[in-house]
Amino acid sequence: MKQPSAIFIFPSMLRETKKIRFTIGSDNILRTECFPDTIMTLEDGRESTKVSAEMVNHQPHPLLCDLTNVIKMTQECRQHFAGPEHATTFSKCALIVSSPISKMIGNFFLGLNKPLKPTKLFTSKEEGLSWLMTKD
Amino acid sequence: MRIDIDNSYLAKNPETKSVSFQDSENSKRLGDILDMIGRIAALDFTAVLNPSSKNDVVDAIAVGLNMLSEELNSNVVEKTKLDEVNCKLERFAHTTAHDLKSPLNSIVGLVTILEIALKPDKDSEVHSCLLKIRETTTQMKDLISGILDYSKIAGDEIQKEKIDLNEIIFEVSNLDGILSRAKIEIIDILPTILFNRASMVQVIRNLLDNAVKYSDKKMCLITVRVKEMCDHYQVSISDNGPGIALENQKRIFELFTKVNLSKPDSQGIGLATVRNILETEEEKIWVESSLGEGTVFTFTIKK
Repeated sequence: MKQPSAIFIFPSMLRETKKIRFTIGSDNILRTECFPDTIMTLEDGRESTKVSAEMVNHQPHPLLCDLTNVIKMTQECRQHFAGPEHATTFSKCALIVSSPISKMIGNFFLGLNKPLKPTKLFTSKEEGLSWLMTKD
Repeated sequence: MRIDIDNSYLAKNPETKSVSFQDSENSKRLGDILDMIGRIAALDFTAVLNPSSKNDVVDAIAVGLNMLSEELNSNVVEKTKLDEVNCKLERFAHTTAHDLKSPLNSIVGLVTILEIALKPDKDSEVHSCLLKIRETTTQMKDLISGILDYSKIAGDEIQKEKIDLNEIIFEVSNLDGILSRAKIEIIDILPTILFNRASMVQVIRNLLDNAVKYSDKKMCLITVRVKEMCDHYQVSISDNGPGIALENQKRIFELFTKVNLSKPDSQGIGLATVRNILETEEEKIWVESSLGEGTVFTFTIKK
């Protein structure tokens, strides 16, 4: 299982919970990366949103979220990430899904939960970052 | 899960044999997935697959099935709750409408007594007021009857019997005085069907009454046809009325929807009741119409 890496990150601020590492670089993009074999519950989702909101000073920022190491995300957690609270913290979201399970979770999230903010799946961080940097 | 292996092929390709046995773990995982699909198909959402730590395609399918099962379970639970609430609301509507009938009948009686006692001049304000009270009360009674017809479908267990559609159309046309206002042509021989008699009378009555009520011709012409399909009949009732605009055609089956505002006595319940009766029996109804070219209502009845 891949460990979180610092590639393409220019950390000016870093925080960690038990399951997620959060970094925000000079490009103003918040990056989140889960530790190996992470199971995301509603509680973890809420904590993640809270930490993120504090890091971006409650101003909507783009999010690069690496789901590769996630092996399960509960229904309530997906609903939380698709809902209004998360949409006020993030302007758009690139989900990195480079493992089979994370691809499945990402597709379910987009198809069933229909997130309020613009959200897309990518298999590489470069593509995700490139999309986040484009102006709508 | 049973896997059939061609032995002659294995004899020629021994490496395949070893790979096949190495795959026994995958076979078990795939077998679990098949079981899970079977349980989901049987609407049993209690099973949960435990993915391995490989994070491979099989694990992804297992995680996907777990999520699908969870979502379907939520939808089923939600639907069950909604059905219960709907049932309670329909019973409430039925009880309320039923309880309102009695005081309304008293009002009609009191108006009659007032008319007899006061003997108002036909040009007087008293006469005009009493007339308005009578008209309004009649409208309310029609509304309440409509709500009762609509809501009683959900409450009772429906008894089915063999009924001749020709008889039903004849009975409704005569008893409701439709023949004095319309000409009815039955083009095909109508079948005998298995349905609740009172419900089918309601369906035919509402459809015929609708054709007559909204007719813009001197003589309303109603045509009844039947088309025999492999497992059901399609019964069509068409008229030579003004037709229904395309944008209103879906709305007309919704409760309390009135698309023709020139008819103040319309309650917007009749077609909703028809649809409710038919859908309760898993039948369908649809409308085809063009403005100025009449309307055709078609409903299905199982053989």
